[in-house]
Amino acid sequence: AFAYFRNIVGGKVLTKVDLEKPMAAMLDHLLRKNVAREAAIQVCETVEKSLVGQKTGNFQSIENTVKAAIEASLLKILTPTTSLDLLREIQNKKSQSRPYVISIVGVNGVGKSTNLSKICFFLLQNKFKVLIAACDTFRSGAVEQLRVHARNLKELSEREGGVVELYEKGYGKDAANIARDAVNHAEGEGFDVVLIDTAGRRHNDQRLMSSLEKFAKFAMPDKILMVGEALVGTDSVLQARNFNSAFGAGRSLDGFIISKCDTVGDMIGTLISMVFATGIPVLFLGTGQNYQDLRTLNTTWAVKLLMS
Amino acid sequence: MVLADLGKRITGAVSGLVRSDVVDDKALDNMLKEICAALLEADVNVKLVQSLRKSIKHTVSASPPGPQRKRLIQSSVFNELVALVDPQTDNLFKPKKGRSNIIMFVGLQGSGKTTTCTKLARWYQARGFKSCLVCADTFRAGAFDQLKQNATKAKIPYYGSYTETDPVRVSKEGVDKFRKEKFEIIIVDTSGRHRQEEELFREMVQIHEAVKPDQTIMVLDSSIGQAAEAQSRAFKESANFGAIVLTKTDGSAQGGGAISAVAATKTPIVFLGTGEHLLDLEKFDPKRFVARLLGMGDVQGLVEH
Ligand SMILES: Nc1nc2c(ncn2[C@@H]2O[C@H](COP(=O)(O)OP(=O)(O)OP(=O)(O)O)[C@@H](O)[C@H]2O)c(=O)[nH]1
Ligand SMILES: Nc1nc2c(ncn2[C@@H]2O[C@H](COP(=O)(O)OP(=O)(O)OP(=O)(O)O)[C@@H](O)[C@H]2O)c(=O)[nH]1
Ligand SMILES: [Mg+2]
Ligand SMILES: [Mg+2]
Repeated sequence: AFAYFRNIVGGKVLTKVDLEKPMAAMLDHLLRKNVAREAAIQVCETVEKSLVGQKTGNFQSIENTVKAAIEASLLKILTPTTSLDLLREIQNKKSQSRPYVISIVGVNGVGKSTNLSKICFFLLQNKFKVLIAACDTFRSGAVEQLRVHARNLKELSEREGGVVELYEKGYGKDAANIARDAVNHAEGEGFDVVLIDTAGRRHNDQRLMSSLEKFAKFAMPDKILMVGEALVGTDSVLQARNFNSAFGAGRSLDGFIISKCDTVGDMIGTLISMVFATGIPVLFLGTGQNYQDLRTLNTTWAVKLLMS
Repeated sequence: MVLADLGKRITGAVSGLVRSDVVDDKALDNMLKEICAALLEADVNVKLVQSLRKSIKHTVSASPPGPQRKRLIQSSVFNELVALVDPQTDNLFKPKKGRSNIIMFVGLQGSGKTTTCTKLARWYQARGFKSCLVCADTFRAGAFDQLKQNATKAKIPYYGSYTETDPVRVSKEGVDKFRKEKFEIIIVDTSGRHRQEEELFREMVQIHEAVKPDQTIMVLDSSIGQAAEAQSRAFKESANFGAIVLTKTDGSAQGGGAISAVAATKTPIVFLGTGEHLLDLEKFDPKRFVARLLGMGDVQGLVEH
């Protein structure tokens, strides 16, 4: 993708014309990596603006100058501005009676319930007492799915003294009410963390999206995490934006879990698209279907893949 | 809506060009640029967009600027779009009454297989076929419960197991049982998988060998982006699916990724999933789809050439 602009080397003042072809090649490259077009254009335009009038370094080709600038720009997008130390936050809250509440939201089938279970596994390994709240009261099998996970996780962590339970009220009931009751139950029983699963919903479904506001009011989550899948294309931008603004004034998403990273090879552009759209950081990556398949984001690794 | 914006933008670009007096190369380039931008925003595969652009340009450049050229632009854009969603296969599977037709579902994780299985069983049930479901997903937590609850709501007989962990065995048992009972449509649901996991692909091939489907359907989420091509090619190679169902078309995704999968595998879309409920299934007709996409009036003009 970078073959275009090999020739010119060193000490050149860059003009818009010089940059036209390399920037077009760069845009194309980002699109191939599954970065949404809107995000890719924005990245390229910003970089172009910053480069016009700049002198390329000694022995530095335009190619390398552009590449380095794009790389820096991607890194900047992915680098969080606040601390993402979830364990410490939970630890800090342990002295209070109210448990630490995390709710998981996202569109249909992206991996909410599975990645919730992975987070539960991670918390159990760190000796927290976890209550899983089954607040997807719509999709067939959603409650049983979590029941199986809770049972598996109990088995896996019992020997090391892990405590995990499922709070469920079956199907058809209001998710916000169940969430609130689950948190109260957890407080009474001395749980450290409540993980709330929610039903998948289309981000363009007014009715389902607006119910999230009540949900946030009732559950009062410390963290609202959105699962977005690495497979998704341009729609990632709108998904992220609509979920970010669904919780009412003064409440937004706290982080993304980008799932199914194992299915896309080096096309991990969704990472960029979702963070670009909202400024919300990536907390975890999902990298498979097992409990261990959860990673924190290594920004250098991600940028390297995107530039490869 | 799948490709809704794309349709508007393409119609706009083409008619803008057709209205102007001279169609010189610059005007043509501008129109192509606009169309390609729209396609890329719709997640159509980057390489596919490039070849589409070349192909239109090639056709049009050959003719001199003039009224002739305008018509050529219209028809070549139309043809390329049709080619994109319609791979023109004549041997599309049609189930026959009075015998067992086995349909196997495959696809990536979470694409909508289990939901669509029941929708399709009900679709055939409503058209007089004795239909049933087999759950060969022994991996995903709650998979059998999900299928069971859906099937119960739809009043469709089902088969599955809570204890058997081998999907090949469950699928074979289920299909054999229903075959004996003279079911006409037997739909087999399988676990989600992806090409990077060889083991999972091998399992899919084994299930395929065990149930010998008359038709294999790949379920694709309409929000899928650039990974669509590689994944669907891999599924095509291993499972040789003969039809695609595009799900979640009620979302805002344009579906260009999934449509690139059609092009990459030369396999037609047969149904659209349009919601989470049992009846949210629509038959897909490529001609009508493109017609709707570009607005009927224009299509009439485009077709006569
Ligand atoms: N390969 C891979 N598969 C994943 C990952 N995360 C989840 N999955 C799979 O994706 C499918 C859907 O996962 P769920 O957790 O049920 O998704 P969900 O978002 O809860 O789905 P709904 O509740 O129906 O909206 C399952 O087959 C999971 O095993 C991941 O990181 N990698
Ligand atoms: N909005 C919408 N949601 C859908 C549609 N089809 C399926 N879904 C939802 O997508 C999610 C995943 O669907 P499943 O049928 O469980 O997907 P799957 O392919 O069987 O998933 P795995 O077995 O885990 O690979 C569920 O929440 C479904 O309700 C559709 O056409 N529109
Ligand atoms: Mg779920
Ligand atoms: Mg399934």
